Amino acid sequence: MNRVLIFVLVVVLAGCGDRSFHGKDIAHLMPPLAFDLVDERGQAVDESIFAGRPVAIYFGFSHCPDICPMTLAKLAAAARALPEAQRERLQLAFVSVDPARDTPERLAEYTGAFSDRMIGLTGDQRQLTELTRRYRVTYGYEEPDAQGNYEVSHSSAIWVFGPELEARLMLFDNLAISEMAADLKRVLAESG
Amino acid sequence: MGRIAAGIAALVVLSAGALWWVSTLEPAETLEFSNPRIRLVPGGGPMAAYFEIANHGDARVRVTGARSDAFGRVMIHRSVVEDGQARMRHQDGGVAIVPGQRVAFAPGGLHLMLMRPQKALNVGDSVEIVLELDGIVPTEWPLDFIVVPITSP
Repeated sequence: MNRVLIFVLVVVLAGCGDRSFHGKDIAHLMPPLAFDLVDERGQAVDESIFAGRPVAIYFGFSHCPDICPMTLAKLAAAARALPEAQRERLQLAFVSVDPARDTPERLAEYTGAFSDRMIGLTGDQRQLTELTRRYRVTYGYEEPDAQGNYEVSHSSAIWVFGPELEARLMLFDNLAISEMAADLKRVLAESG
Repeated sequence: MGRIAAGIAALVVLSAGALWWVSTLEPAETLEFSNPRIRLVPGGGPMAAYFEIANHGDARVRVTGARSDAFGRVMIHRSVVEDGQARMRHQDGGVAIVPGQRVAFAPGGLHLMLMRPQKALNVGDSVEIVLELDGIVPTEWPLDFIVVPITSP
C-alpha cells in the first residue's frame, strides 16, 4: 500500500514539474554531487571521477538479497537499452553503505556481475553519512542475529547526475525498465 | 456404418462430459506453484528465491517456513519501501493463501531469503527448497528452483 502511495505521489510530483520524466526531476532541488569515498581498488576518490559524463548512483549493500539486485538489474537493463553512443557515455555506480562487509574486492565482484560499466564505491561512516545527508537520505543497521548477519536500511532511489555533476533525476525501484531507459535517454540527450 | 459413427460420436460426447464433470469436481492439484527461481548473487552473500503459489483448495493454507540443504538458513521476508527507505520485514506469521488466491513471491516484495550458501551455485542449477505449510497435508512441499542470473528482471 505504501508503495502505491509513493508511486502516486511520484506521479503527482512529476506532473507538477515536467511531465516527460517517469522519475522525479531534482534539478535545482538537490546540491551537485560531492563526496570522498574509496573505489573498488581501495583508492581514495572524489566526485571528479564522474565529471564530464552523466552518472546514475544507487545506495545499497551487497548482502541485500532482493531490492538491491532487483533495482541494479533494472538499471543495468535500462542502460543496455540505450542507443550505443548514449550507453557509452552513461556511468553506473553502486555506493555500499555497509563498508564492514563490502570490501573493495567484494564490491568489484558484485558490480561486475551487473555491468562492466558499473563501479563500486564505499567509505567510512563519516564519509557515507556526509554523502547520504547531502541528499536527505539515511541508512541504518539492524541488530545482528546469532551468526552476526544484519540487515541494512537504505535509500531505494537511483540518483542521476549530469556531466557537470549537477543533480538531475531520481529514479524509483518500481519504474519499468523502459521508463528508466526513457528518462536516462532524455538526460543524456540534454547533456549531449 | 451410420450406427458405428453415431456410437463413436456418443462415446466422444460422453467422455468429454465425464472429463468436464471430473475437472470441475477436483482440480488437478490443490496447490499450484509456478516459476520457482533463485537470483544468483556472487560472493557468498544471501540471495532471494521467488515463486508464485495458487490455492485451488477450499481451505486456507499458510507458508510458515522453508529450508534447504543448499543454504544455512531460509527465511520468509518482505521488502518494504517507506519514505524512500528500503528495508526488510521478517514475516513472523508466515504467509496465508486463502482459497482461490494467488500470491506472488516476487522481486521487491515477498521473497525467501537464502542465507549462507553451502556451495557455489551457477546459473541453470536446480536447487531444492522444502516449503513448510500449515493447513494442508502433507505439510512439507519440496520444490525445485532454477538458478537465474543476477541481471534477471
